Amino acid sequence: MFNLLGRFSRFVLSLLLLSFLLGPARASDWSDPEQQLAQKITAITGPGAVSLDLVNRSSLSQADIDGIRSTLRNQLSAAGLTLVNPDQAAATVQVSLSENLQSYVWVARIQQGTNQPAIEIVSVPRVEPGTPLREPAVLLIRKIQLWSQEDPILDVAVIDSSPPHVIVLDPNKIAMHALEDGQWQLEQAFQVPHSRPWPRDLRGRLVLRKDHLVDAYLPGIFCSSAPGAALNLSCRESDDPWPLASEQVTLNGFFSPTRNFFTGALAPGIGQERTVPPFYSAAPIPREKYVLWVLTGIDGQVREVDGVNVQTLSRPGWGSDMASTKTSCGSGSQVLVSSNSDGATPDTVRAYEFPDREPVPVSQPVELGGRITSLWTESSGSTAVVVSRNWETGKYEAFRLTIACGQ
Amino acid sequence: MRHFDLRLLAASSLVLVGLAHAARRPQYGGTLHVAIASTPSSLDPAALGQLDAVTCRNLSSLLFDTLVTMDDFGRIRPALALNWQAHPGNQRWQFRLRPGVAFDDGSLLTPGAVAASLRAGNPNWTIYALDDSIAIELNSPDPSLAAELTLPKNSIVKRLPGKVSGTGPFRVSDWQPAKKLVVAASEDYWGGRPFVNSVEITLGTSARDQMMLRELGKTDLIEIAPEQARRTAMEGRRVSESAALELVALVFTHQQPSPEDQKLLDALALSVDRAAIKNVLLQGGGDPAGGILPNWITGYEFLFSTEFNMVAAQQRRAEVPYAPAWTLSCDPADSLSRLIAERLALKAKDAGMTIRPISTGIGDLRLVRTSLVSVNPRVALTQVTAALGLPPPGLSGDNLEELYKSESALLESHRIIPLFHLPVNYGLSPAVKNWGEKRTGAWDLGEVWLGTEKP
Repeated sequence: MFNLLGRFSRFVLSLLLLSFLLGPARASDWSDPEQQLAQKITAITGPGAVSLDLVNRSSLSQADIDGIRSTLRNQLSAAGLTLVNPDQAAATVQVSLSENLQSYVWVARIQQGTNQPAIEIVSVPRVEPGTPLREPAVLLIRKIQLWSQEDPILDVAVIDSSPPHVIVLDPNKIAMHALEDGQWQLEQAFQVPHSRPWPRDLRGRLVLRKDHLVDAYLPGIFCSSAPGAALNLSCRESDDPWPLASEQVTLNGFFSPTRNFFTGALAPGIGQERTVPPFYSAAPIPREKYVLWVLTGIDGQVREVDGVNVQTLSRPGWGSDMASTKTSCGSGSQVLVSSNSDGATPDTVRAYEFPDREPVPVSQPVELGGRITSLWTESSGSTAVVVSRNWETGKYEAFRLTIACGQ
Repeated sequence: MRHFDLRLLAASSLVLVGLAHAARRPQYGGTLHVAIASTPSSLDPAALGQLDAVTCRNLSSLLFDTLVTMDDFGRIRPALALNWQAHPGNQRWQFRLRPGVAFDDGSLLTPGAVAASLRAGNPNWTIYALDDSIAIELNSPDPSLAAELTLPKNSIVKRLPGKVSGTGPFRVSDWQPAKKLVVAASEDYWGGRPFVNSVEITLGTSARDQMMLRELGKTDLIEIAPEQARRTAMEGRRVSESAALELVALVFTHQQPSPEDQKLLDALALSVDRAAIKNVLLQGGGDPAGGILPNWITGYEFLFSTEFNMVAAQQRRAEVPYAPAWTLSCDPADSLSRLIAERLALKAKDAGMTIRPISTGIGDLRLVRTSLVSVNPRVALTQVTAALGLPPPGLSGDNLEELYKSESALLESHRIIPLFHLPVNYGLSPAVKNWGEKRTGAWDLGEVWLGTEKP
């Protein structure tokens, strides 16, 4: 069932995910509130000549505003009102499209003669905005939204199966969802037991396996599914090291059970190096005879470790998270690096190559909707999953990042 | 009316101040130094309520938790309660407690302890301690009870003789009433150990001394008055700014304004030149307010007038043959309030009224400043009216139309004239990371970490 090379190609899966997940980001359906507001206005004015003015005080797009104005006019006309200029109107109606934290707030102020104006209010839950993509430079980072939820997302794994599945790791549980009839259905969910409180800035990683479905790594906890396709998980307290890249490149790092970083102890090590300074993330760059590892240290330094030498780079623009990808573009190996933004702009991810030891940017930064909380290479090694917390909605959003060859 | 865009609001509260968490992961360790003006004499949230609402909440949140919290989008989140349920009618609520949480004296959080804590601040509630949960029964339906439980006064406190104990992210390591508070990270905090090792708060520090300490690199976090915020930012200093959530208003202290009083108060409201006060006294900060609650919380505040119309003010004044001289009181220690009061008196004179600012006692009018600590409009309106001694809004549901009518009725009662909504500002050292400014100006010092940047 969960054959990674199943009959659904990644392309089809991506399209499915894209078509499902981008659905809510399309222009919204305002028919219910339009109808409600038109009815409320009509109930006050009755049939007759009215003027209608619409003012936008919200973040709605011009297309939405134009659509709302047009539909509202049609609804009022259909209800027997004649829309005229203010000087010919028995009642003037000013509709304000406003908003608060959770809702769009549409307010009709209806003035009839010298009476106190009547106020009618309709509120509409806010919809989530879409996220724009940027144009590429040399290589293009494509992002496809995989999942979105209010609780933090630590990692997401996509299972290329029929039907497609996603596994979502959050601080409380590991949940598997299946795409059925265009809707994600929760199939299984397992609580993650932990006797100690989770550390802040909690991190976790999912790794799909060949002989069983998935392993999940959390600080001080390891969960593994039983052999077979189902998500039968068993979890235990463990200080086993976490895989630092994909299955193709084997290096594991010990993760602090009470902090948010790798301690620096490695298994089996990079050449002769068994320990390195504590770090947040690591990315391998395969060379002909060795693997160059790039590590983001907790001291803000970026280190390149080849098994013999440790070289320190100063990259103040780099954040703490990196993920390596194997692609058919450029040198065939890129490292996706999060930005160390000043907080004035949403975090970004940019692809770099390492022709020698000096990183060279090979893509434009791709913008996430807020701050990045996680970036891991997917089990295939060719893509990465990034999680960010959307500034506008406060929700956590997981995206698959794929590198496409540019012009 | 200024065009309002929540995305801009999010930007102002989370982004433009340059304080949001960047993609550099947090580091552990260090002491965060804070200087504030307040001088609390007790750490009990019930006593902290005597301070301004923002300071009360911020100090309380270091040591105590509430059953639930509210995020920046007004959504209720689990805290000491893992989940909750309102029975049909919203008159009985049940909250299941998070297991394994301990007070800082080592005793476990139990339903009995939670019930005892909540009973102390809410004598009208009937609270039952059940196996792993508590149930709250109310005299009348309250759809916003969960939002109300996020208020600091509903912090879960274990009160012992001469001592209060909490379950918060920090524990008291040095407490000198009204002078100094030092708290240390709680290693076993259920929400994760804070990144900093400790927070040292110097209390009773004047605004000038706070600024000096910041200049000398002796403190990481200070308060900045709204009228100072823009200038401070323009000087290249790091300033965080919340959404506009502090209400500045005139409150008429007579319980029942007579018809003549109402006409004079109408005239007074029309004589207030909010734009000029904003530009001159507030140095461009804050938003003119027509409503008690700001537009970003309700979405309808723009319906309430902020019009400055001296001709209309004079006409309204002329409808009353004899206008008594009113006194206007304000906090004498608050220079901004004093300046605004003087400005209001000047304009009232142009309208034909005599308003005399006084520095002691309670006047016929009071210039008040009160902060909203909830972004839930129902809770916020109830809290503000209680703080200002106004009649409770009498809400039974939580729909926006009812809220609008209730707020309209309060304004039409002529007991209050809203003037401005101001943001809460803090000055931060460059070393402060992951500040994550909240719209409500709330601190989340458990999430803050210290970088190596020099002041």
